[in-house]
Amino acid sequence: MNASRPKRILIGKVGLDGHDRGAKFIVRALRNAGYEVIYTGIRRTPEQIVRAAIDEDVDAIGLSLLSGAHKELLSRVAELLKGEGAENIVLFAGGTIPDQDLAYLRSLGINRVFRPGAALSGILSALEEALTGGRSTGGGATT
Amino acid sequence: MDALIDKIRRGDRRSLARAMSLADKAGQEAQALKDRLRRSTGNVPWWGFTGPPGVGKSTLIDTLLGMLRQRGCRVGVVAVDPTSPVSDGALLGDRVRMMRHAVDEEVFIRSLATHRREGGLSDATLHCARLLELAGYDPVLIETVGVGQNEVDVAGVTDICVVIVGAGYGDDIQLTKAGLLEIADILVVNKCDLPDANRLLNEVREQLVLSSSATSGQAVYSDLTKSPGGTPDRKQASPGCTPKGMAPEVVGIEAKSGKDVDHLLEKLLELDRAARQPQQRQRHKQTRVLSEIRHSAMLVCEQALEDRLVAPATKELIAGLERGELSLDQVVRELSVISCQLSVEREPPRSGGRRLRTDG
Ligand SMILES: Nc1nc2c(ncn2[C@@H]2O[C@H](COP(=O)(O)OP(=O)(O)OP(=O)(O)O)[C@@H](O)[C@H]2O)c(=O)[nH]1
Ligand SMILES: [Mg+2]
Repeated sequence: MNASRPKRILIGKVGLDGHDRGAKFIVRALRNAGYEVIYTGIRRTPEQIVRAAIDEDVDAIGLSLLSGAHKELLSRVAELLKGEGAENIVLFAGGTIPDQDLAYLRSLGINRVFRPGAALSGILSALEEALTGGRSTGGGATT
Repeated sequence: MDALIDKIRRGDRRSLARAMSLADKAGQEAQALKDRLRRSTGNVPWWGFTGPPGVGKSTLIDTLLGMLRQRGCRVGVVAVDPTSPVSDGALLGDRVRMMRHAVDEEVFIRSLATHRREGGLSDATLHCARLLELAGYDPVLIETVGVGQNEVDVAGVTDICVVIVGAGYGDDIQLTKAGLLEIADILVVNKCDLPDANRLLNEVREQLVLSSSATSGQAVYSDLTKSPGGTPDRKQASPGCTPKGMAPEVVGIEAKSGKDVDHLLEKLLELDRAARQPQQRQRHKQTRVLSEIRHSAMLVCEQALEDRLVAPATKELIAGLERGELSLDQVVRELSVISCQLSVEREPPRSGGRRLRTDG
């Protein structure tokens, strides 16, 4: 038996759009990279995401957003996590998020944003770094 | 430790979730927790759900969750998915089907990976189920990895074993090969909305008549608890709720639309009531612990054997076997003397091969 288990990451889609190709791609990539990935499916509410993340005791949450409502949704998720005392969970985002919103997301503690076309190797190394260092360390938008 | 247990009892989700992670690890603290849990639980029936991949296990649990909630039950779910044999990672996707219950305070769902444990259950499954029980969830539902061919140990730890088959999943030969029918306390044919469901229902019924006249599960089970040298048999591992020699009931449902699931729930609640009888509880606890001991001992022995196989002294044995100076039996015996009887006895000796030894 191994003392260290794989890190657990929850991947989900919040908001109304139903495109989950990107999310599913990440799910598989993370699984292949040795993570245990809990997939929650599309059109989830911030409340559902945070509750699932707490119950599953995950190390990170990755949310995919294409609907344009990313600021509201992500700030709600960050707020709920804080309310649970779970700010230690690394929060990252993927999707069509414009440059001008990055600073705002950073203020929520979301330092890692992966946009369409981001290289997988970059995503994986950024996550690994975040998971060993915590949410506040380094990083930036990867495109 | 007591503080943690207290918090879990008081319904603190975070503590429960963290204790589950702890139970998924090795080490002293984890061990202390697991031993503690064993002593404080065992009174709540566990319902196991097993069957081939994609047959609708998660969908059924989702539907049952809705119905059990209506009856005012607080329900715990442990859902197990396979660990990838190449990466050690896993895709835990059962929860997708149950998300409507995600914000319900009275439902707790936990996803687990198998960590390469055979038989469809992860090491942590038992501990997570016990933790749910401690937190007041009743009943506890367990979904096991749908590998189809290797789903046997679920019967050893659950009180009620629900085997699910579905239209579009092979024929009666495959059902028989998989050995799934023998472990069922209740047999569910899902996806009855699909065209070949009736054929499958009939095939399953025929198969069950055949296998129930061939074995009598309960008799084998009581042999096992009385003398540790009971004949190895699939049903031995199952505490079973189905009376001696009787075929399990077959229920056709549509998990997705919920059609006839209410009927299934009635049957399950009947089995649940039986499983709550003090005598049954005692038996189930015993079988569960036996499964646990067997599994842990197996791990230790396998490791010991693996170590032994790569030890320098073993090179001589291997060479001797290659040169034809030693027989396989001799080599095996030599290795087993030094490492462990159990791991070697598991397979080869057909005559009197006892699964559980008390003397070695
Ligand atoms: N036609 C039909 N499809 C169903 C029914 N129940 C479930 N399904 C579908 O079967 C597929 C698999 O369902 P799941 O509940 O994920 O099956 P599972 O057994 O949990 O799958 P694994 O956990 O991956 O082994 C989904 O697409 C469901 O919508 C049913 O009654 N009829
Ligand atoms: Mg499932």
